Amino acid sequence: MQVGLKIWRYDSKTGDRALREYEVDAPEEATLLDCLDLVKDKHDGSLAYRKSCRMMICGSCGMRMDGAAVLACKVRMYDIAKEGRVPVISAMGNLPIIKDLVVDMDPFWEKMRAVDPYLQPRFDQAEERENVISQPRMDVIHKESLCINCGCCVSECNSMEADPDFLGPAALAKGMRFVGDPRDGATIERLEKYSEPHGLWDCTRCYFCNERCPKGVDPRDAIAKLGAEAMKNGIDRDMGAKHAKWFVTSAKTTGWLRETELVPKTQGIVSSIKEMKFAMGLAVKGKVPPPFPPHVAAEVHESRALFDLVKTQGRDGAAGIVQGEKALGRIESHHAASGGRDPYTEADSAPRPYLPSEREETA
Amino acid sequence: MGCPVTIIFGRTLRNTPLGGYTVKKLAYYKGCLASLSAKELDISTCALAPKLGYELIELESVTCCGAGDIHEAEPDYYLHLNARILSYAEATGCDTLMTVCNVCTLNLRQANYQLQIDEDLRQRVNDNLERVGVPPYSGSVEVKHFLWLIAGESFGTLKTVAHKGLKGLKIAPFYGCQILRPSKLMGFEDPDKPSSLERIIEACGGEAIDYPAKIKCCGFPIIQAREETALAELIQPIEQAMEAGADAMVTPCPLCHLSLDAWQSKLKKQTGRDFAMPILHLSQLVGVAAGLTDAELKFRRHVVSVDPVIEKLSV
Repeated sequence: MQVGLKIWRYDSKTGDRALREYEVDAPEEATLLDCLDLVKDKHDGSLAYRKSCRMMICGSCGMRMDGAAVLACKVRMYDIAKEGRVPVISAMGNLPIIKDLVVDMDPFWEKMRAVDPYLQPRFDQAEERENVISQPRMDVIHKESLCINCGCCVSECNSMEADPDFLGPAALAKGMRFVGDPRDGATIERLEKYSEPHGLWDCTRCYFCNERCPKGVDPRDAIAKLGAEAMKNGIDRDMGAKHAKWFVTSAKTTGWLRETELVPKTQGIVSSIKEMKFAMGLAVKGKVPPPFPPHVAAEVHESRALFDLVKTQGRDGAAGIVQGEKALGRIESHHAASGGRDPYTEADSAPRPYLPSEREETA
Repeated sequence: MGCPVTIIFGRTLRNTPLGGYTVKKLAYYKGCLASLSAKELDISTCALAPKLGYELIELESVTCCGAGDIHEAEPDYYLHLNARILSYAEATGCDTLMTVCNVCTLNLRQANYQLQIDEDLRQRVNDNLERVGVPPYSGSVEVKHFLWLIAGESFGTLKTVAHKGLKGLKIAPFYGCQILRPSKLMGFEDPDKPSSLERIIEACGGEAIDYPAKIKCCGFPIIQAREETALAELIQPIEQAMEAGADAMVTPCPLCHLSLDAWQSKLKKQTGRDFAMPILHLSQLVGVAAGLTDAELKFRRHVVSVDPVIEKLSV
């Protein structure tokens, strides 16, 4: 098949930038990375890009296709070529470009190092017996452990674009990988560190990281898990934590968010007074609802009782998010990944494999 | 409550061409902002929905969905709060729960998937709901944003409803994040190349302006805790829409609306540039084209004046 590509060429030494178009004759099963190899072998040997494993495990070939970060070895070109589309390939965002599709990963690794990405068991001598960890306890960090450090999440992070010092989705997900690890002994220090400015409370919840991650890590959910663990451990001095706490207080007292009180509860009284002029501008438009009498939801006692009840059931912290992952994981495999096609129902398809979970249905 | 369904409902039927269409009942969850600081969203939604053939049944005893905040601070409580909302939606007998906020949409859809797919989890949550007197949730409700209804099942009637048109007004669509991503939970349209707002703008007789930041973040979730970062995010869509020649921006999310509208004054203070970009709720944009009255649109409640838009439309 004929595959067309437009590639942004760039040389940081000269500052030269150009969009070049290439066409290659590729086999039908070719990935974007295969096509780039063909461009480099047959058309232009000066094209620069990173690659290694070609099978979605080394994390080298992160780049942008039509503005969205992808792993080049994961993207099949068949449908795109058949539609006659010529995608634009460029380097990842939020990282300085060295040449063509190669970015400088140093800022990425710097942030990774900042979260202490190694196990800190905090004992001098190992116990006599083997330290056996149950599967449910490891499930807490199952998704975070899938990260291959490709940088696709970082490429599109809206908070990092606005604040280059933000630790970012990859490093914070790595942080959760150790906070949630029952063998790690530095949980509190980690949570304190990650709760500092440019840390977990700087995430703007744009969900680009979840959307882009080629491995299903869902870094935004990992950041939420860190937030939940920080709150569980009483690490809640940051304004972001206070903001989140006020939502909980609102939900169990009046049911609806007490918006007007949110500012002083988040920023403190002094900052709130500085905001008075701004607030008055909103107040004249009815955007600052008076706190008294409070807007109380009907049957709000149910909401309060629910809070008291679930607090006794030991699913606070990250466990509250982890319990939903099983269901959310199934959406991915059923809908998005297969594109609605069942590989075992076609005429020449292989027999359906036996899955232990299907035992009851087949019996 | 405050939803003049019956009165407008009667008028809708008379306006309906040739035989009319069936009226569909929807459970309606308005969320915190539309209840309080963005009342104009609730009022215009309640006025517009009957014209599109919907009867809204407002949920009485529900609470905040918790935004991203309770999901992050107390995730188990988040799931139960949303299960309670879904349960009361199911109790109305409707198969659809309509939302008018991106954040509510994501929270409710996420909780709904968890409860629908994982039976053990649903059993546990239902036990808890029953212990505090809430009916159990069987999983029969689907959560849909008003945008999806307008751009989806009622798109065919939109041109007729929007009979007054927008006179070629240049409108910049701003989607916000949590109606597009994560796409596996939303699934209505391509999260990178969405087109629902554009199609609605065109069907109402406006001209849709294209600009890259229309799918990016408005900064609202961190606007109080990290104002500087949030403003650096907020300026992008407003600046790009301005440069593309937009007369106004439209958004399906009251949180995006609040930051785009109310925080423009902070951008002015910070950058010295007065964008004066009017920001419309989706229900107001379609509402203007459908001939809703001033009392139903409530543009007076906006911080940035919408008068330039009204003037262009009245010429």
